[in-house]
Amino acid sequence: MTQTPITQTEITPAASLDCSGLLCPLPVYKTALALGNLQPGEVLELITTDPGALEDIPAMSRQRGDTVLAGEDRGSSQRFLIEKGTQT
Amino acid sequence: MTTTTPSTLNTDRGVRRYGDIRDLLPDVDNPTPLVRVRRVMPDPGISLFLKLEWLNPFGSIKDRAAAAMLAGLEERGELAGKEIVEASSGNTAIALAAMAALAGTRLTVTIPDGVPEEKKVLLRMLGAEVWETPDDLCPVDHPKDGAIALARSLAASAGGERFVTTNQYENEDNVRAHYETTGPEIWRQTEGEVRYFLAGFGTCGTITGVGRYLKEREPSIRIIAVEPQRGHRLPGLKNFQEAKQPAILDWDVVDHVIGVDDDDAYTTTKRLFREEGLMVGPSTGAIVHAASLLGDEHGGIAVGVSPDGGLKYTSYFAEILGDEGLPQI
Repeated sequence: MTQTPITQTEITPAASLDCSGLLCPLPVYKTALALGNLQPGEVLELITTDPGALEDIPAMSRQRGDTVLAGEDRGSSQRFLIEKGTQT
Repeated sequence: MTTTTPSTLNTDRGVRRYGDIRDLLPDVDNPTPLVRVRRVMPDPGISLFLKLEWLNPFGSIKDRAAAAMLAGLEERGELAGKEIVEASSGNTAIALAAMAALAGTRLTVTIPDGVPEEKKVLLRMLGAEVWETPDDLCPVDHPKDGAIALARSLAASAGGERFVTTNQYENEDNVRAHYETTGPEIWRQTEGEVRYFLAGFGTCGTITGVGRYLKEREPSIRIIAVEPQRGHRLPGLKNFQEAKQPAILDWDVVDHVIGVDDDDAYTTTKRLFREEGLMVGPSTGAIVHAASLLGDEHGGIAVGVSPDGGLKYTSYFAEILGDEGLPQI
């Protein structure tokens, strides 16, 4: 995945979801629920600790038509900014 | 005026009086009924009996597995203070939800695509938390088992403190339930004359447990598995081209696999309603259709499982009926 550093000044998320301690596919499931509460174009901040999220979250986003604006692998955790698409 | 203390009325199966709903759970002395299918089965050489599992207290064959799995958790000390999580197309979850509540805990169920609304509502009525789960939930590695993967991750996440999973697809207590109850019941009810046993591929607890018991009693008994088509709409059944084979399936006890498509299953279900007065769920239709394909060379008594009743599928039946049964003006 693209490991684009994120700075708080770039994007202000509309919502944040902390999936620390949750194993995949639980973060995928909760992310889909959280995105369901957003409007198209709004951004979700997601924190995960399962390394599987590095593959699963971008794949899920492609499948759903959302966009991972940025992702950051911090070693023991990962942070994503996901923009909700118009089709989801 | 004198006051009297009411006497304690304990469970007495002889007069069908029960002190607790769980006392209705089946065993060899309290079997679910076998009922002959006379009109829908065209082959006079085979006498097909259905084992009406929807007359169990929580409405399906899964009462047996749920009771055995809960007992297993309690015996091993794994339940204490925890909630239960299970992947289920509804019937196991309904039985688990009811019995979990009676045991003072709660069920979270991950439920796959294609489960009728009726089951989800029943689960919520029983106090369960229902997580509807798309089959292709896992975007990278996605056999058609998203609900199973989600239940596993719920059980393991955050140190596993909150949940324990019954994991019916890998739990030998599921098999044991049928080895100790369903199998002996069928043997006794048919006076040892059963020659064919039919059940669907699902968790495979039924076919493995019953098959193992019956083959120990009489190795020539044919055990026939019923498999739905890919992309089917028969909740509870699994096609193993698209779903992972459960660890508890023992192929050594399976003699034949008969494939059944949705059209035949639902057509037969409708016939069972109308010609036999049997208000069964669609998986029973699949099993009876498979029995009708056994062929002329076979003969004797066949027993098919009727896993659940039709009342939980009325929304599906409404779709297949269309305007049938409504006045045409």
